[in-house]
Amino acid sequence: MLLDLSGIQKRYSGVTALRDGNLCVGPGEVHLLLGENGAGKSTLMKIVAGMEHRDAGRMLWQGREAGFRTPAEASAAGIAMVHQESLLAPHLTVAENIFLGREERLPFGWVNRRRMIEQASRMIEAHHFPLDAGWRVGRLSPAGKQLVGICRAIQHGSSLLIFDEPTSSLSGAETEEVFRIVRTLRARGMGVIYITHRLEELRAIGDRVTILRDGVTVHSGPLADVSTDRIIQHMVGREMVSIYQRQPVPPGAELLRVEGLTRGVAFRDVSFGLRAGEIVGLAGLMGAGRTETCLAIFGVDPIDAGKVFVDGRAARIGSPREAVAAGIALVTEDRQKTGLALRLPIAYNITMANLRAITRLGVIDGSAQNRVTAEYIARLRIRASSGRQAAGRLSGGNQQKVAIAKWLFRRARVFLFDEPTRGIDVGAKIEVFEVMDELARAGAAVLMVSSEMQELLQVADRILVMRQGRITGELPGRTTQEEIMRFAALEPECAP
Amino acid sequence: MMQPMMQRLLPFLSLVVLFVALAIASPHFLTETNLSSVVRQTAVINVMSLGMTLIIIAGGIDLSVGAMLAMCGVLGTMAMQGGMPVSVGILVGLLAGLFWGSVNGFLTTRLRIAPFIVTLGTLGIIRGLTLIITNGLPVTQIPRSFAFLGEGNLLGVPFVLWVVVICALATHVILEHTRLGRYAFAIGSNPDAAVYAGVPVAFDITVIYALGGLLTGLAGMIEASRLMTGQPSAGNGYELQAIAAVVIGGGSLHGGEGSVVGTLIGALIMGLLSNGSDLLGISPYLQQAIIGAVIILAVSVDELRKRRGRAEG
Repeated sequence: MLLDLSGIQKRYSGVTALRDGNLCVGPGEVHLLLGENGAGKSTLMKIVAGMEHRDAGRMLWQGREAGFRTPAEASAAGIAMVHQESLLAPHLTVAENIFLGREERLPFGWVNRRRMIEQASRMIEAHHFPLDAGWRVGRLSPAGKQLVGICRAIQHGSSLLIFDEPTSSLSGAETEEVFRIVRTLRARGMGVIYITHRLEELRAIGDRVTILRDGVTVHSGPLADVSTDRIIQHMVGREMVSIYQRQPVPPGAELLRVEGLTRGVAFRDVSFGLRAGEIVGLAGLMGAGRTETCLAIFGVDPIDAGKVFVDGRAARIGSPREAVAAGIALVTEDRQKTGLALRLPIAYNITMANLRAITRLGVIDGSAQNRVTAEYIARLRIRASSGRQAAGRLSGGNQQKVAIAKWLFRRARVFLFDEPTRGIDVGAKIEVFEVMDELARAGAAVLMVSSEMQELLQVADRILVMRQGRITGELPGRTTQEEIMRFAALEPECAP
Repeated sequence: MMQPMMQRLLPFLSLVVLFVALAIASPHFLTETNLSSVVRQTAVINVMSLGMTLIIIAGGIDLSVGAMLAMCGVLGTMAMQGGMPVSVGILVGLLAGLFWGSVNGFLTTRLRIAPFIVTLGTLGIIRGLTLIITNGLPVTQIPRSFAFLGEGNLLGVPFVLWVVVICALATHVILEHTRLGRYAFAIGSNPDAAVYAGVPVAFDITVIYALGGLLTGLAGMIEASRLMTGQPSAGNGYELQAIAAVVIGGGSLHGGEGSVVGTLIGALIMGLLSNGSDLLGISPYLQQAIIGAVIILAVSVDELRKRRGRAEG
C-alpha cells in the first residue's frame, strides 16, 4: 500500500468537513475519488498533500505513520497534487512554472534558464502537449494551464499524484491525452488519485473507487463491481433517476435570431434562431467558438458582421448593458470571474441586474430586496444561512443558482447558459436542468452551451454543433453522442 | 459569531479607549476649546475621506486629492479676492473639485489606465497648475465673512461639524441606499461581473470620482477658510491621510468593502492621536510614526479577521 487513510476527521470552527474518511491506494492503481461538492473530497486530499491537518484518524504513507505539515513536506515524500484551479504564476513562462521553486541553479543564485527551457521542452514533446516552454501561462486556455500543472507534478518525480478534476475544462481530445498520461503513470507503478465529476469518464480510467458523502466514506472497492447508477446513489444518498430527460413543449414565437454573425477567426457566418419554450443545445469541442458566440450576442465582444434580431426586430447590441435591456441574459462559464461578486451578499448579487425594480424615488427598498432574495432562495433551493451571506461562501452549485436567480429576477426572456453545470455536483445539476425547463415552460428561449454531450441529449430539444467557428450541423434532441461528434470533430467533407 | 462581531467593532472600541485614555491623561482634553479644535482640525480630512470612501469601495484610489484641495482653495479664494461674493467663491471651489474628479474618472474609464497611475499623474498636473496660477504665492485679502465656514459656530457647535455631519449622512445614503452606491460595491467587488449584469460601470465610476472631487473641493474651501488664505502648497500628503482613514475604518484597497461610519471613526482616531500627542507634548515627528504604525496595525487586524473568515468557509 502506498497510502492508507482511516477514520480521518476534520472540523473547521464548528463545521464538520470529514467525519470518517477512509482511503487506500496502492502502486500502479488509478483510484477514483467521488462525491458531491462539500462531501469532503478536497479536504481529504488537502490533508494528504499537507495543506490541512487532520484532527483525528490515521495516515500511513508507504507503511509508516505520517502527517505532512506543509505541501513542501508532502512533495518531498513523493506526493504531488494537480489543482483544479491551477495554482500557477500567470506572468511566468511555461518552463518557469514547471520548475517554480525547483529552478536549476547556477552559482551566485543565477537560474539556469536555458536548461530549464530544454528540460521543459523535452517533457512537453514527450507527451505531445500543445504547449511551448517559452509561452506565458497567463495567455493559455484553461486546458493549457491544466497541462502545465500536470507537467509540474510529473517533473517533481512523485510516487503518488492527486488530480483534482483535471478534465473539467478540457475538450474531448485533450481529455484523451490526460487519460493517456495517467495510464503511462500507472504503468510506471505510480499511484494516482483522481477526483472527477464526470461520471461518463470513470470507466475509461479508473481501477478502484472511493465515494464520500457528508464527510464519510460510504463505499470503497473495485470499479468493476459497482454500476454507475449505484455510484450516483452512493453520492447523493437517495434514489435518483440517473437519467433526467426533459419533456419538450411546443415552441412559440422566435425570440432571438442571429444571421451571419462573424467575428475575426473566432466564428463566422453563424445563424440560428431561438423560440419561446425551446431549449437549444450548442455542442462542439473546446475552441469551436461557442463561448465566443455567446459573448458576441451578449455584447461583450464586438462583431465584424451579422445581424441580431430580438422579438423579430433588428437589435443593435454593443454592450452587455444593451443586451440586458433587450431581455438577454448570459449565465457565464466562469462564475467567479464574470458571474458573481463573491464578496458581496447573496441579496446584492440577486438584485444586481434589476435594482431599478426595487428602487423607490431613488432609494433602494430594503424590505423589497429581502422579500425578493427570500423568494429566489426558496424557489431555487439555494442552501444559504441567509441572504446576507457572501456569495463566495456558497458551494459551486449554489453559486450557480445565485447567478441564475439574478437573471430570473431581471425577467430576461432569452437565456444563454454557458457550461451551466461545470464544477457542480450531480444533485445541483438536475436542479439547474429543472430551472432551465421551468424557464422554457414559462415562455423563455434557452441556449445551452455544454461540453457534456450526455447533458445536451438529456435537456435540449435540438442541438446545434459548432466546429472551428462555424455551425456544422443541427440535430434533433434525441440524437446520439456519436452523431454530435461527427459534426463536432470531423472535416466538413466527411460529414454527411 | 461573537468574535467576528467584536473585530468589526474594533475600530469603534479603539476610538472609545483612545478618548477615555486621553481624558484621563490630560486635563485639557475634555474642554470645550480643545474638543471644538479637534472637530475643526479633522473636518478637512473627514470631508475628503468621505469621497475617498466611495472611490475605494468602487475599487479605485485617488492620489490627487491633496493637490486638488489646494487648487480648489486657491481658485475659490481668487474669485473672492476678485470681488465675487463669498458664496460664489465657494461654488467656484466646489466646481473645480467636480471638474478634476470627473477628469480622473474619465481617464480611468475611457483610457483604461489604472487609477493609481492616472491620479498620480493628475496630482502632478494639478499641483503644477496651482503653482503656475498663483506664482507660488498664497492668495490673501479675502472677505472676513469667509472665516465663518471654518471657524464659525452654529447652535453652539462648530459650523464645520454640521458640514461634516451633512456630508457624511449624504454619502451614507448614497452608499447604502441608492443604485450608485450598490453599483460601487459591485464594481469594487468584481468589475467584470458588474459589466455582465448591465451595470453602467464606466459612467458610475466617473460619477464616483466626480463626487470625490466635489467633496475635496468642499474640504479645500474649509481649509482655505481656516487659514484665511488660498495656499498653493496646501493639502500636501492629505491623500495619504484620507486613504488611511478609509482603511483604518475597515475599507479594503481591493475594493468592495468600506463604510461611512468606519471612515469617520478612522479619521477621528487619527485626529485624536494627533491632538493627544500635542496635549501630551509628544514630538510631531513621533506622531507621524505612531499614525503609520496604527495604519499597519488596523489593516493587519482586518486581514487576520478575513483570513479566519475564509478558513471557516
